[in-house]
Amino acid sequence: MNRYISAPLLVLALLRAAVSAGEIRVEVRDSQGTPVADAVASLTPLDAVPPLRPPAEPVTVVQEGEEFRPRVTVVVAGTRVNFPNRDAVQHHVFSVSRTKKFDLPLYRGEPREPVLFDQPGVVSLGCNIHDWMSAYIIVLATPHFTRTGETGIGVITGLPPGRHRLEVWHPRVKATLARDVTVEGAGSATQVIALTLGVDRRVRRAPEATGGSYK
Amino acid sequence: MRPPLRTFRGQLLAVFVPVLALAQGVTWYFVERFNEREARHQIEVSLQQAAQTFRRVVADRNAHLRTGARSAARDHQIRQLVTGDDPATLASALQSLRGTTDSSVVVILDPAGGVVASAGRGGPEPALAPRLIALAEADDSPRPSAAGYGYFGGVLHSVVLVPVQAGSEVIAWLLIGFRIDRDFASDLKRLTGSDLVFLGADGAALAGTLGESAQAPVAAALRSARAHAGLREVTIDGGAWLAAFRPLFTGKEQAATLALVYSLDEKLAPSRVAGRYLALVTVGALIAGAAIALAFARSLARPIERLAEHTERIGAGDYGARVTVGREDELGRLASAMNTMAAGLAERDRVRDLLDKNVSPEVAARLLRDGAALGGEEREVTILFADLRGFTTLSESLGPPELLALLNRYLDRMSGAIEAHGGVIDKFIGDAIMALFGAPVAQGDAPSRAIAAARAMETALAELNSELAAEGRPPLAIGVGINTARVVAGNIGSHRRLNYSVIGDGVNVAARLQALTRVPDHRTNIILSAATRAAAGAAASTSRPLGTVAVKGRREPVEIYAVDTGDPASHGTSSRSEAPFFSS
Repeated sequence: MNRYISAPLLVLALLRAAVSAGEIRVEVRDSQGTPVADAVASLTPLDAVPPLRPPAEPVTVVQEGEEFRPRVTVVVAGTRVNFPNRDAVQHHVFSVSRTKKFDLPLYRGEPREPVLFDQPGVVSLGCNIHDWMSAYIIVLATPHFTRTGETGIGVITGLPPGRHRLEVWHPRVKATLARDVTVEGAGSATQVIALTLGVDRRVRRAPEATGGSYK
Repeated sequence: MRPPLRTFRGQLLAVFVPVLALAQGVTWYFVERFNEREARHQIEVSLQQAAQTFRRVVADRNAHLRTGARSAARDHQIRQLVTGDDPATLASALQSLRGTTDSSVVVILDPAGGVVASAGRGGPEPALAPRLIALAEADDSPRPSAAGYGYFGGVLHSVVLVPVQAGSEVIAWLLIGFRIDRDFASDLKRLTGSDLVFLGADGAALAGTLGESAQAPVAAALRSARAHAGLREVTIDGGAWLAAFRPLFTGKEQAATLALVYSLDEKLAPSRVAGRYLALVTVGALIAGAAIALAFARSLARPIERLAEHTERIGAGDYGARVTVGREDELGRLASAMNTMAAGLAERDRVRDLLDKNVSPEVAARLLRDGAALGGEEREVTILFADLRGFTTLSESLGPPELLALLNRYLDRMSGAIEAHGGVIDKFIGDAIMALFGAPVAQGDAPSRAIAAARAMETALAELNSELAAEGRPPLAIGVGINTARVVAGNIGSHRRLNYSVIGDGVNVAARLQALTRVPDHRTNIILSAATRAAAGAAASTSRPLGTVAVKGRREPVEIYAVDTGDPASHGTSSRSEAPFFSS
């Protein structure tokens, strides 16, 4: 929901930003009004290049119970991600996404070295031998982001006042939803995002001991 | 020759042949109708089964291709090629996949439906990829896919679309399909026995098991068909075929039409052969039936004709003929009954003949009518006695054969004269004749008849005498006595031999009156008693009274009368020549 902000107020807001950071609360719902989890909302300042400080230690996406955990991971560009395998069976983690193509051929335990995600974009992860295993790494060029929980709510804090581009991504949304918002001083604004979800393309795990059948 | 329907044979044929022909004809008609209906039903079932077989075969091959495509879609190298920038390598990998899966076309589409790389002849029609992707995206099953029909370079294909995924991201679509062409149609024909023609969205024939010229009428039938349901009759190369149409859909879009056709003539061929045999049997049965009927009629008609002929012969009086028909049945019994009848008739005839010769016809007739038991009865009878005069002299001058011949000649003439007037010869006593009038058949005018007979006898004798004179023989003379009296009439004799006759006084009187004609003074050959004269009335009015004479054996004298004929000369002659006889 965009608000009309008058010039004097804007000046005031900018002044307030200097003393305290703003906050955006995002509520993501689908077309039926159901809260949507695992949506990624990010705010990119339009009038300044935000400083990116990738963490020194790699972020971890584990394989456990033949699933990736977590399913959606958000990092800033330049972050290294480690893919430890905690299963008894081997996994072959890969990506063919343009953002980052990589292959970690069959391995157990810790891979030799973490993977560096230096380009912003969406990386779809898979396991070459377990079709149902899927996960995403969202690489952002901004440090301001959040991932919604089961309530569909995420909060982005420490925002500098000013105009931002709000982008919301979800695995079942084809195109990223984008919207310009203005962050005022220390205020907290709520953005309600309605997403139209596509088909869940997660491959379902094959049930044990069933024969094949014609469809 | 009689008209055909007037003969038993003709009638039998006229009934038998049409009934048989009608029965056979009706049978033939119903068998034909049943066969035709059955053939149509069988074809309908065949075509339904063929349509099911087609769908099953396509589903099986689609499933086979889907499995192959899914395997390929999850191949890591394919995933890498799909997202890479080496379409030539991807195309050659697809070519390899085409061989592995025994498919006709393999295409990689980007998520939006654009062709990335392909193997096989021709690219997909533009509308196909979006249509299939929409179907696959709408498929919420665990392993989504889409199937349908589409054209590659104008050739109809059955196609399957599966996603190529990296994790849960669809990174591409894999489209795989097999060609629906003449070879495929031929395979199906081997499976189903039905002919197939595939028709495009515009209704034009694409491929099939029939020749070009045969496909055109099928296409025309589709265009004229409003609905796909039901069978349509199609004329192909002059033969009758039945066609069923099935739409081939991709989603809700009809991509093509499957026409299944079956030759009605071919299906009917066995029953037509059977029909021809039936027709042959019908004709044969008619001929055999007619022949049997003819033979049967002849076997009946021949003896019947023989019996009819025989009956005609019997009717004509030939009782000696016998008929044999050589059968034991009713006709045989009829023949033997007719033979028995003829024998009976012959016997009766013989008896009658004998009677006629031995007794007078009247007595014979009465005997035959009433039987031999002519009981005694008293009745009034006129008795006529005639005697040949001078017979003794004659018998001395002639040899026995000549004598008998002359006697019979005389008796014959006299008998004729008596019978001509209704008299009955009672008996011949040597040269004497005893005749009755009024017995055995009553006659009201018996006395008159007797008098007339006596006159006729005189006339007949005169004729005989003139014949004898011509032969140089002496003439004959007779005396006749007539009396009317009540006498006893009946069969007289032993139980083996009976004679119808009369007995009584009146008979003796007649004999005496005859003897009185010898008295020259009476000058007559015929003497009546008063009783006869009275009973005769007018016939005796000219009689001349001769007075009263005593008759031997009778107490009362008898009044007698002479009947004068117009030939006194004969009397004179006889009286003269017989003078010695009377004087003796």
